Amino acid sequence: MGKPALLKQVVKWFFKKPVTIQYPFEKTVVEKDIRGRHYVDLNKCIGCSLCAIECPADAIVMEKLPEDIKPPKNRRGVYPVVYYGPCIFCYRCVTVCPVNAFITTDDYHLADFVKRDSREYSLKTYKGEST
Amino acid sequence: MGVTKVVEIPITLEIPVGPQHPALHEPLMLKVYADGEDVIRVDINTGYNHRGVEKLCEKNNFYQNIFLCGRVCGICNTVHANCYTRAVEYVLDIDPPRRAKYLRVLAMELERIHSHMIINAIMAEILGFDTLFMYIMRDREKIMKAKEILTGNRVLADYMMIGGVRRDVDEVKKDRIKKLLDSIEPDVRYYKKVFEEDDTILKRLVDVGVIKPRDITLHGLLGPTARGSGIEIDVRAGDRYDAYDEVPFNVVVRKEMDSWARMMVRWEETLESINMCRYVLEHLPSDGPAVPDERRLPRRFPEGESFARVEAPRGELTYYVYSVGKQIPYRVKIRTPSFNNIINSGFTYIGYSIADVPVILTSYDPCIACMERAVVIDLESGVRKLVSLRTIVKGGV
Repeated sequence: MGKPALLKQVVKWFFKKPVTIQYPFEKTVVEKDIRGRHYVDLNKCIGCSLCAIECPADAIVMEKLPEDIKPPKNRRGVYPVVYYGPCIFCYRCVTVCPVNAFITTDDYHLADFVKRDSREYSLKTYKGEST
Repeated sequence: MGVTKVVEIPITLEIPVGPQHPALHEPLMLKVYADGEDVIRVDINTGYNHRGVEKLCEKNNFYQNIFLCGRVCGICNTVHANCYTRAVEYVLDIDPPRRAKYLRVLAMELERIHSHMIINAIMAEILGFDTLFMYIMRDREKIMKAKEILTGNRVLADYMMIGGVRRDVDEVKKDRIKKLLDSIEPDVRYYKKVFEEDDTILKRLVDVGVIKPRDITLHGLLGPTARGSGIEIDVRAGDRYDAYDEVPFNVVVRKEMDSWARMMVRWEETLESINMCRYVLEHLPSDGPAVPDERRLPRRFPEGESFARVEAPRGELTYYVYSVGKQIPYRVKIRTPSFNNIINSGFTYIGYSIADVPVILTSYDPCIACMERAVVIDLESGVRKLVSLRTIVKGGV
């Protein structure tokens, strides 16, 4: 039997730090423009529903705006709510939006104990709070 | 005292490999009939992973289908999306700019590199060589990073769009991808050397699963499986779609015909793909906008049908799109390479030992999610009948 071909590599890497990233204790480094969590900016949205029509995964539902929120451009009074469970993060909604109303982030930490959708993120944009 | 009991020992053993099995990464049933250790017949049964993608394509509109087709297979998603997008472009009579075509080639070749690396890693794991599996997977992350820089996601790229691609590259991104390619090349050369020299790998792969060129053409096997048996079949060289007419490359062919040859074809293709990616990055033309405005793309689709094919990492992948002038296609037919390579490969296991079955299967690079169709496979009727061992070996069951 010959010499194991990998022996040199094994000895070399035995004295190095492990390459495994201990998520969630250690965050993975991702690109700035990775397709992460996205939500609509209520100040820009006109409620045209194009994102909900074009969504390949049916992850966007048009919902009525709360009564105290009345953006001037949004005459129909509806806004898109992205459900992150079925969402496939293809960003088709972002690219078809006629007024570029979607805010895109590189946030990929989507695992949670409760079901999340983009409702709270969108409503915060109208109040002017940072998210 | 007379004989009171007769013990009947069956000569043929029926061993189910799968649908859930440590050697298989996706649900596939191989019903192996063995005489002792020797395989004398294999029935391949699929249908555990059928998702009805083709039917769903008839309900979504043309643009939604780009993302659905990308999800037929996780590993080769850009080639699926590219093939569908090109088929729709033929219906619409749109020709994307050269820059977009070059970027498409870059995305597809990056995908080929990581696909070939993962199947070689899985082969190492199947052989029981887990250290090599871990090392190849560690270095494969560099290519995943390059894909993330280019497309915005590690695995599911969603990079193709009718009339171009969905993201452009700037100089900074180009340099970073180039550096990653430079750093992956010595790794690939090293692992190729390991596959050429290591005793464990050679003993398990060489002369296992030999397919003669005649059998390849007879059973319609494709991709690296065919090229490992000396048949020069490559859609990139045959069709010269996208930018493959300008990007130079060699079609890798080996004449050994066994599982080892198929894995070596993949390593050599990986090196070819790295060179192709470098060429694309250095010679990227700037003749027009690579990213079309998705809001201004055509909404009306003319009547017509089209057929497109690409060379996926596993072989020739074809899409047939039939439009009747509506927003949704009337029919989208997908024929994936694994469909040919796995379902038609039952004859290749015969004569080898049971331990070789997972090795031979892995050497075809099975992608079960790709190949599930609503096709009824004619299995045994369930009626037991007695036949001689000689008949079974001759395949006369």
